[in-house]
Amino acid sequence: MHEMGFAKIIIDEVNKLAKEKDAKKVTAVKIIMGELLLINPEQLNFWFKALTQGTIIEGAKLDISFVKPKIICTICGKNYNQPVGLCEKCGGFVKVEGGKEIVIEKVEMEV
Amino acid sequence: MHKIEIDTNIDVLSLNKKIARENREFFKKYKIKAINIMGAIGSGKTLLIEKTVESLGDEIKFGAILGDVVGSADLKKVARHNIPAEVVNTGKECHLDAHLVSHCLEKFKDVDLLFIENVGNLICPVDFDLGESVRVVMVSVTEGDDVVDKHPEIFRLADVIIINKIALADAVGANVEKMVNDAKKLNPKAKVIKMDLKTGVGVAEWLQLVKELVS
Repeated sequence: MHEMGFAKIIIDEVNKLAKEKDAKKVTAVKIIMGELLLINPEQLNFWFKALTQGTIIEGAKLDISFVKPKIICTICGKNYNQPVGLCEKCGGFVKVEGGKEIVIEKVEMEV
Repeated sequence: MHKIEIDTNIDVLSLNKKIARENREFFKKYKIKAINIMGAIGSGKTLLIEKTVESLGDEIKFGAILGDVVGSADLKKVARHNIPAEVVNTGKECHLDAHLVSHCLEKFKDVDLLFIENVGNLICPVDFDLGESVRVVMVSVTEGDDVVDKHPEIFRLADVIIINKIALADAVGANVEKMVNDAKKLNPKAKVIKMDLKTGVGVAEWLQLVKELVS
């Protein structure tokens, strides 16, 4: 749902960096995103393209990698792929860590 | 011209996190408990605030920040109870964020408990820390008894889950126990309250929780 908003923030940060480095063109942006944010990568790409038209970021490749949260029973250590409240194996509390980050990892530009 | 690659490690959510931390520091400094009330549209968030202030207004200094899409309908309802209140017109924003809330905080320095009524939405508010002490998520039976199951993340991260309008459950064919069980399954640590703000069911339990929060 926030693909446009997040695309805007990513573009603002990349623009700041490009200005610092006096870049002529940005060619690639690599981001990592937590799966629990439920951001649709195609939509994010769409808005990234839409909002960078006519700028030095136009045409840049947006490389999106996903990060899974760590979901693990605090008692028996069983791992899960999706958040659950209590462990099916031992009834222990299942902790969820991460999976909610958006980080701009790398930016490639022509200077 | 040549190509360069820069390792940036920029956290896109860092600005909201920073302002949320500042809000949290403000609340700590002025000893204010802040409750972020999230929930479905029309689930009873404003009425919950009103009933709480009516019952405990003599013993607790309340304040309220209301997210209204436009105008100030919710603000007017709450202002009748003579508590400091502020509206945040959210327009097309689908959630409050720490930045929007940070602009209003000065007038609430003297309150014990600040209600922050979020935009009616079970998806977006979850990812935006406002600096609150407690997260309440409110739904009602009229949204359908699968509403908890369909929106796991917001319930997983709640401190208190309120299932409201239970007096209407039969009329709308909603299984309240299913809603409670779905909530507890997602979030075993949350306090789950079955409530009906019109008949008064569950209200005493909620008021006790509020009193304990400020004690």
